[in-house]
Amino acid sequence: MAWQERFSATTFSGTIAKLLLLGVSNALAISALPQLWSARAWQGLVAVALATVAIDVVYLSGRHVPLKYLLPGTLFLLSFQAYPVVYNAYVAFTNFGTGNILTQDQALEQVLRRSVAIPEDAVRYAATPLVDDAGSLAVLLVAPDGSQQLGTPDGLSAVDPADVVIDGSRVASVGPWRRLTLGQATDREDEVLGFRVPTGEGEIRLQSFTQAALAEQLLVHDPATDTLTNTQDGAVYLAAEGFYRTDDGQRLTPGWRVFVGFENFNRVLGSEAIRGPFLRVFAWTFVFAVLSVLLTFALGLFLAITLNDPRVRGLKYYRAVMIIPYALPSFMTALIWAGLLNQDFGIVNRLLGTDVNWLGDPWLAKASILLVNTWLGFPYMFLISLGALQAIPTDLREAAFIDGASGYKAFRFVTLPLVLVATGPILISSFAFNFNNFNVIYLLTGGGPPIVGAQTPAGHTDILISYTYRLAFETGRGNDWGLASAVAVLIFLIVALFSIVSFRQTRALEEVN
Amino acid sequence: MSADVSAVDRPAEAVGPIALPVRPWRPSRWMREVAWRHIVAVLACFFALFPVIWVVSASINPTGSIAAQQLIPREPTLDNFRELLNETSYTQWLLNSVMIAGVASALQVALGAHAAYAFSRLRFHGRRAGLVAILLIQMFPQLLAVVAIFLMMNNIGDVFPQIGLGTQAGVILVYLGGALSINTWMMKGFFDTIPRELDETAKVDGASHAQIFYLVVLPLVRPVLAVIGLLAFVFAFNEFIIASALLQGSDAETLPIGLFTFIDERYGSRWGPFAAGALMGGVPIIVLFLFLQRYIISGLTAGSVKG
Repeated sequence: MAWQERFSATTFSGTIAKLLLLGVSNALAISALPQLWSARAWQGLVAVALATVAIDVVYLSGRHVPLKYLLPGTLFLLSFQAYPVVYNAYVAFTNFGTGNILTQDQALEQVLRRSVAIPEDAVRYAATPLVDDAGSLAVLLVAPDGSQQLGTPDGLSAVDPADVVIDGSRVASVGPWRRLTLGQATDREDEVLGFRVPTGEGEIRLQSFTQAALAEQLLVHDPATDTLTNTQDGAVYLAAEGFYRTDDGQRLTPGWRVFVGFENFNRVLGSEAIRGPFLRVFAWTFVFAVLSVLLTFALGLFLAITLNDPRVRGLKYYRAVMIIPYALPSFMTALIWAGLLNQDFGIVNRLLGTDVNWLGDPWLAKASILLVNTWLGFPYMFLISLGALQAIPTDLREAAFIDGASGYKAFRFVTLPLVLVATGPILISSFAFNFNNFNVIYLLTGGGPPIVGAQTPAGHTDILISYTYRLAFETGRGNDWGLASAVAVLIFLIVALFSIVSFRQTRALEEVN
Repeated sequence: MSADVSAVDRPAEAVGPIALPVRPWRPSRWMREVAWRHIVAVLACFFALFPVIWVVSASINPTGSIAAQQLIPREPTLDNFRELLNETSYTQWLLNSVMIAGVASALQVALGAHAAYAFSRLRFHGRRAGLVAILLIQMFPQLLAVVAIFLMMNNIGDVFPQIGLGTQAGVILVYLGGALSINTWMMKGFFDTIPRELDETAKVDGASHAQIFYLVVLPLVRPVLAVIGLLAFVFAFNEFIIASALLQGSDAETLPIGLFTFIDERYGSRWGPFAAGALMGGVPIIVLFLFLQRYIISGLTAGSVKG
C-alpha cells in the first residue's frame, strides 16, 4: 500500500530530524551553563539543566510518548506563564523599585563609593595640571608644608626637585610632564576637574585648575554590627528595611531589596491616599467591562435581528463593511479615535461645532471610552449573534406564532433565550477580555484625566491593568514594582474568584474530556 | 449563512422549507417591513466606517494638520506617506512587528498542535488534570504579570543579552508561553472532530505515533491551524503592554509602540503622517480578515476573542 511505503520511507528522515533538533538543544544548553555559572544565576542554572535532562530523557527513550508532544509547550508555559506569576507574587512582598534594585552588598559598595567627600578641614594643595606627550594627565601637588608630589591616576609619587623647571613664577615642566596651558585645560575641563589621585585614606581631587584637596572616606562600615559610621559627625547608620539609616530617619541611597511582608498590600488597602483612587479604579473596571459587554451585545444583537430577514438583500456586503472595525488593529483604532475626539483639532468637535473636552473631563472621558469600545466590539457581537440566530430552527418561531404569540413575545421567550444559550460563554469571555482591555484605555486616554489628590498615578478612566502598568513604569518618583505587583496579585485573586463562579455555573470543568 | 439568497422581487418563491402564504409584492408593505432594515444597516455601516473615512482622508490631505482637514481634499497628495517613511523608522517598526508576529504565531501553532494531538489522541495518566489546568490557566492573561515579566527578562538579559530586554527574541519567547493554553484548547476541540478510525487504519499500516500525527492528522486540521495562526498573528501585531515594557526605546520597537511614541498627543501637527501609517499597517490586516472571513467567524464562535 502507498501509505505503508510512505510510513517506512519517512521513518529514517524523522529520526535524523529528531537527532538534529536534540543536538541543537543540547549545544545551546552546554553553551549556556558556563555563562549562568559565572553570573551566579543559580535558579537559571538549575532550570536549564533540568530542562535539558528532561528533553534528552523524553526524546531518547522509546517510552513517554505523550510527553514527546507536551514537553516543549510545557516548558514554555512554565517559564513564561507560570514562573512570572510566582515571581510576581514574590515581588509583591518586597520593596523592589527604583532606589531598591540592588542586593545589599551592591548597595553597600555604592554607598561607600559615594561617601567620599572633601571635609571642612581638608588638607589642601596648590595644584598644577600637567600633560605628557601621549596626552595623559597628571598633577603636581604642593602641600601646605611645601613638599612636592606628583599625582597620577595610579597614586602619589615623590618628585625630585631637580626635575621641576620653573618659568618665572610658575612651573613649566616636571620631567616628561609639561604644564597644561590654560587653553588646553579649558578644552579638557571635565577631564581635568574630574581628575582623581587615589591615596591610602581617600583621594585627592582637583577643585579648580590651581587647587586640590584631600577627599576622605566619610563612612566606615563595621561588618560585625552591619552599621556605617560617619567619621565626621559620628552619626551611626543601621541597616533596616532596605536602607542604611539613622534613628531619626536619615537614609543613605541607594537602598537594596528586602522582604517587607504585607507592607505593599497595606499601602493599597490601608492608606487613604492610595486606597481611595484604587477603589475607584476597581469599581470603574467592573463598570467598564460590564457596560462594554452590554452595549456591544445589545447593538450587535439588534443589528443581527434586523438584518436576519430573508427579504433583506445584500447582507453579505453589510457584513463585510461591519467587520472592518473588528479587523483594524485595536491599537490603531484607539489612537485614531483619540485624534478624532481631540478637543482642539478633532473632527468630532468640528462637525458638531463644539469645543468639548471629550477625553479630559472625567465623565465625558468615560463615555468616550465606552463609545470607542462599542465601536470596536459591536461587529464581533453582530457576527456571533447572526450565527446564533441562523442556527435557530425556523419552526420554533413558527410554532410560537401558531400558538398565538406576538412578534415581541416570540422574540422574548423563544429567540432571545436560545441566542443567550449560544452566546453565553462568549459574553463571559468578552467580559474577561474587557476586564483587562489595556489598549483601549491606555492608548485613548492614558487612564486620564488624573484623579485629584491621588498619591499614585491613578486616573478617572484607569482600569486595574493600566493602573498596574503605570505604577510599575511611569510614576514621577520612579518605579514602584513592589506596589504594582501587589495590585497585580489582587487582580489575580479577583479573576480567580470569577473563574470559580463561572466554572461552577457552566460546569465547564466537569465536561472536560 | 444563506440569508440573502431568497429575494424580495421574486415573491412567487417560497421562503424556506415551510411555505408561508404567498403574498403579492406591494411597495408600501416592503417599505414598512424591509426598508427600515436597510436604513438601520446603512447607519451601522456609516458608524463603522466613520473613523476609517477620516483616516483615509487625512492621509491624503496636503496640510498635515488635523484642524484644516477637508473630507475630500482639493489637492490630494502622498506627502504624508513620504514624510512618515523618510522621517521616522516606520519601515523598521513594521518589519519588527511582522517579524515578531510571524515567528511567534508560527511557533505558537506548532507548539499548540503538538500538545493538542497528545490531549486529543493519546490516553495517559494526568490527561484530564492537564486539560483542566489549561482551561484554568487561560483565564489569567499573561499581561497581568507584566511587571514580573519585565524584571525576569531584565535578569535574563544580564546573562544572555541576545534574548533580554530590547530584543525581538525575548518578546517572541514571552508570547510563546502566553497564548499556548488557549490555542491548545481550541485546537484540541477541532482535533476531536477528526475520526479516530483514520489513526487506527494508519496504525494497522505500520505507522508510528509521529507518522500518524505528521502525515495523517496534520493535513486534515489545516483549517484550524490557519485560523489560530491568523488570530495569533493579529494578537502579536496588536500587543502593546508587554512589547512596550520590554522594547521601549530599543531598535526592536514594534508598530504600536512606534506609532504611539510618534503621535505623542501631537494631533495638531502629526495627524496626516500618523493616518498614513495607520492605513499602511491596518489595511493588510483588514484584507486578510475579509479573505478569511468565513474561517474566522467559525473560529470566533468557538470562543476565541481577538486582542
